[in-house]
Amino acid sequence: MKRALRRLVDLLVLLVSVSTLLFFALRLAGDPTVVMAGSDATEAQLAAIRAQYGFDKSLPEQYLRYMASLARLDFGASLATGQSALGMILVKLPATLLLASLGFITTVAIAFPVGAFLGFRPDSAGRRLVALLVYVFQGVPGFVLALLLIQVFVVQLGLLPSFGYADPRTWILPSIALASFLAPKLCRVFAANVSEAMREDYIRRARAMGATPKEILWKEALPNALLGAASLLSVQFATLISGVVIIEVLFVWPGVGWQLLQSTLALDFPVIQAFAVVVAVLVFAINTATDLLLTVIDPRLREASRP
Amino acid sequence: MSNARALLPARWAQRLANVELVAGALLCSALGLAVLFQGLLQTHDPVRGNIDERFARLGANGHWFGTDNLGRDLWSRMLEGLGWSVSAALLATGIALGIGLVAGLIAAERPGWTRTLVNHLVNIGLSLPGLVIAMIVVAIIGRGFWPLTITLGILTWPVFARVVYGESRKQLAMDYVLASRLVGSPPWRILLTHVLPALRPTLMVLIAFHFADMMILESALSFLGLGAPLGVPTWGNMLQEARDFLLIAPWLLAMPAAGIIMVVLAANLLGDGIAAKSREQARAIEI
Repeated sequence: MKRALRRLVDLLVLLVSVSTLLFFALRLAGDPTVVMAGSDATEAQLAAIRAQYGFDKSLPEQYLRYMASLARLDFGASLATGQSALGMILVKLPATLLLASLGFITTVAIAFPVGAFLGFRPDSAGRRLVALLVYVFQGVPGFVLALLLIQVFVVQLGLLPSFGYADPRTWILPSIALASFLAPKLCRVFAANVSEAMREDYIRRARAMGATPKEILWKEALPNALLGAASLLSVQFATLISGVVIIEVLFVWPGVGWQLLQSTLALDFPVIQAFAVVVAVLVFAINTATDLLLTVIDPRLREASRP
Repeated sequence: MSNARALLPARWAQRLANVELVAGALLCSALGLAVLFQGLLQTHDPVRGNIDERFARLGANGHWFGTDNLGRDLWSRMLEGLGWSVSAALLATGIALGIGLVAGLIAAERPGWTRTLVNHLVNIGLSLPGLVIAMIVVAIIGRGFWPLTITLGILTWPVFARVVYGESRKQLAMDYVLASRLVGSPPWRILLTHVLPALRPTLMVLIAFHFADMMILESALSFLGLGAPLGVPTWGNMLQEARDFLLIAPWLLAMPAAGIIMVVLAANLLGDGIAAKSREQARAIEI
């Protein structure tokens, strides 16, 4: 209970800091009215924005009003479309969650087998080649890989359609591209965890008791390595979000990230704010869920968290 | 990241460490030289092209990497962009290092609200998607070299602060620090003469990795239209422009892509090499 409360405080701190950062970034840029409306705005538009945000008031008062409207989850209307800013983000959320889940599944589907393969018996030549490949892929930025994938599979070979999301075949390339953000790192961490686990006493004991290598891998080494990998995934969730945004833009995926780029380029501030808050809540939800899951799975963590 | 070496038997690990270090150092110095002697290496004007020579293929007419849709020499443009991106990434890394080092050291030495504040800021900074926040900030304050580098530096300092904090706490708990305190050294002298030198190997590794991350972030932002100014031929900008000509001029995409991968690999190799080397030295001292 106490921990749940602490986490809630963390979320509030996160939300307040993000909103404050946005608030002051907007003020740094000069007259926020002009920044928002663009240099070719009419006097009436400027007046409307000033009235909506209260830019004619003093800075502390503006800040308080701004935080108060955030507390009511009132982000205002999009400057571009006039729709509710939060609504515009929430409508796009399912597509983004689909892409994120696909990317996550692909990451795990690549990283765990390869990691287990590398970590189980690390010495053979084939394994070293795979390790080298993983190393090289770690140096390939996700958006560059996405571009190369489009170039090869869509433009040159014409094997796959690239854009949109109605046809499941268009899901393949974005999932792979998104997986490239985390899979290589996860591979290496997972492999190291497995090979470390292989040197533990309980594995030697299992071997002495006559367990086959297969049993050792599945029953002893993998479960332990999984725990470390799960916490890495939780910590790296922010990377996944950055990846989702850029992959959505590249593949014209009609999700939150795509919407964010449009709104960012147009400086549609209410939508940007709504996005920031939704992302902060998502990050918080994922971190909390993983933490809880890990404490349920791993009794050692339960012990550790007791005072 | 470094744990992967546990995969290999000891003698291989040692040899690999040297290979990584040498390869990383060679690649990085080659890139450094390319930045320094950019003007000498450029064969054509990177900004003005000859429209009659548009979409020249690799090696055609003395254009080693071909030309783009306006007939501009790709090789010269890539050198121009390399200088820009490397300076931006180095500066951003420097800013992040500066803030992170000071914040981490102070938080380690001073318990109380300073430590709580730094730890909170670090946690927040690490849990936010850097690319997204940088996108928004750059969109608001404008594109350009200084807005971009300062934004990236300020957004990413928690990476350094966290490591500096953890390592410094470890060092501050050592007996030699206690001895130094007992003879009356002020906190700042302990931090400067005892803690800081002990951080050096860790920081060198972190700087290499951070530089790679900054290169990726900068090119991704430029690619999205929120990084380098439009006219500057950074590799991110060039990738963006190349998207319109995927069918007729694939080299416009391939060359900058290969360039980014090479720089990131070079920095990763150097970082891993230094990490392995310093671990070996630590082991040698223990034995």
